[in-house]
Amino acid sequence: MRKKLPYIFMALGILLLILPFFSGPYVQSIGRTVITYMILAISWDMLIRSGQLSFGIAGFFGLGSYAAVLSVVNLSFNPFLSMLIAAVVAGGVAFLVGSIVLRLRGMYFAITTLALGEIFKIIIHNWHDVTGGPNGKLLPKLAFDGDSVPSYAMMVIFALLVIAISEYFRKSKIHYALTAIRDNEIVAKSTGINIYKYLLIAFTITAAIQGAAGAGFAQLYGFVTPESSFNANYTLIPLAMALLGGMYSTWGPVIGAVVLGVLGEFLKLYIPYGHLVVYGLIIILVLLFMPRGIVGVVNRLTADKGVGNE
Amino acid sequence: MINKKIYLIAGIGIAVISAVFFMLTNPTLLVYGVQRAGIYAAIALPMALVLGIVHIVNLAHGEMMMVAAYLSYFISRTFDLDPLLAAIPTGIIMFFLGIFIFKTTIYHTLKAPELNQLILTFGVAMVLSQTINLMATSQPRKISLDYVSASASIGEVSFGIYDFIFPALAIIFLIILMYFLKKTRIGKAATAVGQNPRGALIVGINVDLTYTVIFAVASALIGIFGSVFITKFSIFPAVGGAYTMKSFALVAMAGIGNLPKIITASLILGIAESFVMSIPGGAGWTPMIFFGLIIFVILSRSFRSKH
Amino acid sequence: MSRKLSAISFILLFMLSFGSIFATGQTEGEVKPIKFGGVWPLGDITGAQASKAAQLAVDELNANGGLLGRPVELIVIDSEFSPEKGAAAIERLATVDKVDFFVGGMSSGVHLGQIPALKKYKKVTMWTGAASHLAEEAVGANQDWYFHLHPWDYNQGASYVEGWNDIAEKYSEISIDRWFLAYEEGPFGSASFEATKTLFADMEIDGEAFQSAAAGGGDYTAVLQRAKEYDPDVFIWAGYAADALPMMEQAKAINFVPRLFVGAPPGWPSDFGESKLAEDVTLYGMWAPAINTVSVKSTLFSVGYETKYNEIPATYFAPLGYTSIDIIVQAVKAAGTIETDAVIAALKANPYESALGEVINFKPSNVISNQGICQQKILQWQNGEQEVIWPFDFATSNPAYPFKGWTK
Repeated sequence: MRKKLPYIFMALGILLLILPFFSGPYVQSIGRTVITYMILAISWDMLIRSGQLSFGIAGFFGLGSYAAVLSVVNLSFNPFLSMLIAAVVAGGVAFLVGSIVLRLRGMYFAITTLALGEIFKIIIHNWHDVTGGPNGKLLPKLAFDGDSVPSYAMMVIFALLVIAISEYFRKSKIHYALTAIRDNEIVAKSTGINIYKYLLIAFTITAAIQGAAGAGFAQLYGFVTPESSFNANYTLIPLAMALLGGMYSTWGPVIGAVVLGVLGEFLKLYIPYGHLVVYGLIIILVLLFMPRGIVGVVNRLTADKGVGNE
Repeated sequence: MINKKIYLIAGIGIAVISAVFFMLTNPTLLVYGVQRAGIYAAIALPMALVLGIVHIVNLAHGEMMMVAAYLSYFISRTFDLDPLLAAIPTGIIMFFLGIFIFKTTIYHTLKAPELNQLILTFGVAMVLSQTINLMATSQPRKISLDYVSASASIGEVSFGIYDFIFPALAIIFLIILMYFLKKTRIGKAATAVGQNPRGALIVGINVDLTYTVIFAVASALIGIFGSVFITKFSIFPAVGGAYTMKSFALVAMAGIGNLPKIITASLILGIAESFVMSIPGGAGWTPMIFFGLIIFVILSRSFRSKH
Repeated sequence: MSRKLSAISFILLFMLSFGSIFATGQTEGEVKPIKFGGVWPLGDITGAQASKAAQLAVDELNANGGLLGRPVELIVIDSEFSPEKGAAAIERLATVDKVDFFVGGMSSGVHLGQIPALKKYKKVTMWTGAASHLAEEAVGANQDWYFHLHPWDYNQGASYVEGWNDIAEKYSEISIDRWFLAYEEGPFGSASFEATKTLFADMEIDGEAFQSAAAGGGDYTAVLQRAKEYDPDVFIWAGYAADALPMMEQAKAINFVPRLFVGAPPGWPSDFGESKLAEDVTLYGMWAPAINTVSVKSTLFSVGYETKYNEIPATYFAPLGYTSIDIIVQAVKAAGTIETDAVIAALKANPYESALGEVINFKPSNVISNQGICQQKILQWQNGEQEVIWPFDFATSNPAYPFKGWTK
């Protein structure tokens, strides 16, 4: 049963991905949102595998959004190129900032990333001439002119790319390095792993992904404002999704994103006043009863008796 | 050892010189700075207590303050009490509410990874703020009190003096907490648990009871703060979020586990913010000073410790 | 609760929710209802009351035989103050619930996210919110199906100029030459400041930003100190309801008593009127219960709302929400059909007497062709109630001048 699990998941995953193509703009719009959060959740997970907790997702997301919009408006770049620019900008900032900040650990690193995100937001908020200030900026044209099907398709391709990167991370040398750092940094150092280099790589790549996600979002909705592009939900919700789904894996955040995303929408439709109370209760209950997330429960249910796990 | 003394003397010297400078040029700056510092310190101390001993980041910290504020509001209005008096029943109710929240949720995740506790408290925060939103609507409320506008003047400049209640509250909190942690049996046990939970368990300390008591004490302090909060600020269901973040940042800046440093850290932040706000056009950059200082202190502490 | 049980129940819950997303609206009856789709931030008092007021309009209509012989249904989805959720709500209302008309609106930011979706479907849209001119640009010209009830930010600014000039002319003791604007640093405050600076260019004007209590701030002493030094004839603060009472308290603490103290938040705290500090504070708004004394329509709405919901409408979004439904209903009755072009023509042609007191005539604004209300009103807190002092057609009281505050 264990061996067949990845294939079952893959089949389910493909089904879920294709379904919106046949279901109309509403489902596609929900799908785009779910996939955006999914990408953020996966990218956050990639960094937490090293033990480094980032609260800066919203910061890089907003940075990428603005980089994309500014490159289109001020430099007339093509939408897809702008997403690349956003990734480069976010990654570049992460590289520069990370070289100084990655020496921190635990909550100190987390608070610093949070503070950095806020600083990006404030700079953009105050820099009226370039960024439009608190009112934000409009894109003259939406990607695909707002047509939901190609928009959804673009997000699907992006998601598959990120999943591929995450799996590469897991299968390659980087995985061992990151996990070693997480388990015991002193031991890792003594085996000769250049901790700093691997942390920097992970931080830069995940920030680039988060920036590109922000760019994609801006292209799909056609505007950026400091409040909406740097919203704290872009940090907290992907975290909750990754935890619910199961950390330290690729499919955990994917499942968590789909479950929380769909659940959130469902609750809203049937409990118009007060759905967020139920949403919060579900997060609490899942964390109490499924501490290793959904993937953890599945692992436990399908564990071969007597044989080791993972 | 010698280095530390030099830094201390230099620090105090700079502080005294700047204080005199400000008193002469722009006295309200110091006044407002100290008042702001008091607000930050008073709300950060309970979080520092919980983070330092139970080692959990309570993302519902600000929301608990919000609940306390609403409790105080309704107690004041129903029984025609001054909110500062309502602080006593509010503190007591929050003490037990803290035990309830701790026992039903956080307690069960203590053995789980730290992140679970973080997101769990995020869920609690959501439940608290959305429930209050359902019950009280999102329309802000405030109790109007005369003494809140008490003022004094230096020369031509008038300024509010009521807000000194916040630094006073912060110092009272600190004194209570230091006495509790250093002189009482439970407090000393808690300090031991904070430093080494497993060791404390082996020695026979009831770790679970300690955690519960600490969380309850922190909740009671939040309750008292909430009652004072509503005398100065309007309350609405989302009011807590910003204070969670500020407390967290301040605790990180002071060093996790270090309560007295919170006073120093908040003074630096409060006065710096006050300074930036006094510059025309400075309002937009004030939060930047806040976050910038925090990063600076955290980083410099990290650089220093590597030497 | 065993792991297996929790896992299974979770999967069931998930499948249920997944299915519901794909489920289409049912209603296979004999007579298909006319459907209104509304999107408001239900978690906020503005959206909550606007949607309830809209529901009131629908219920009154159904009690009187419906519209064109058909029952009327209102489907409301929460925008959650999120642009992507607001947009998804429009998509669902259009494609799953297949509504005939769109109503709703409060936040400009959310609306920016919804505009592309609205432009896809081009149904008659009656919008109660979004003041930012950026939203108007996003809608663009030649979108005849788009009707905007709420004044744009520049409309509001222009109406204040007109209002104050009228007031200064009628009451010669009131002087309005020197202005100080304390504005919250977000889009709402900044836009107010920019608009005021431009429109009041021939007066002496200065301003300073502050962080609103709604965003975690709440300290106005720096701004009030600067205002006091500037010694203006009129002091205006543009922030949110959470700033209202602390602003007065801190002004009292530094002994700042301008001759006109104006507050311009989109809403006020629930107990503001009870405070002694509220007396003679001027405010901008679109509706207050006092309008019941000068408008029958307002009274009908107000009484209906209070009877049904046991609460007084706290913001002007309540009568706006009611209006958004009722104005379409009257146009449909006049046109005799729900067909889009006919309803658009009827909306453009017929003036509508609204629950806010004024008669709505759709006219072009800077970019769009159908702007409903172009002005706010100037009111004043007197004896704990909001009284209208301008426009004089709706005035329920004379302005109290100068603002004495606590020096009485």
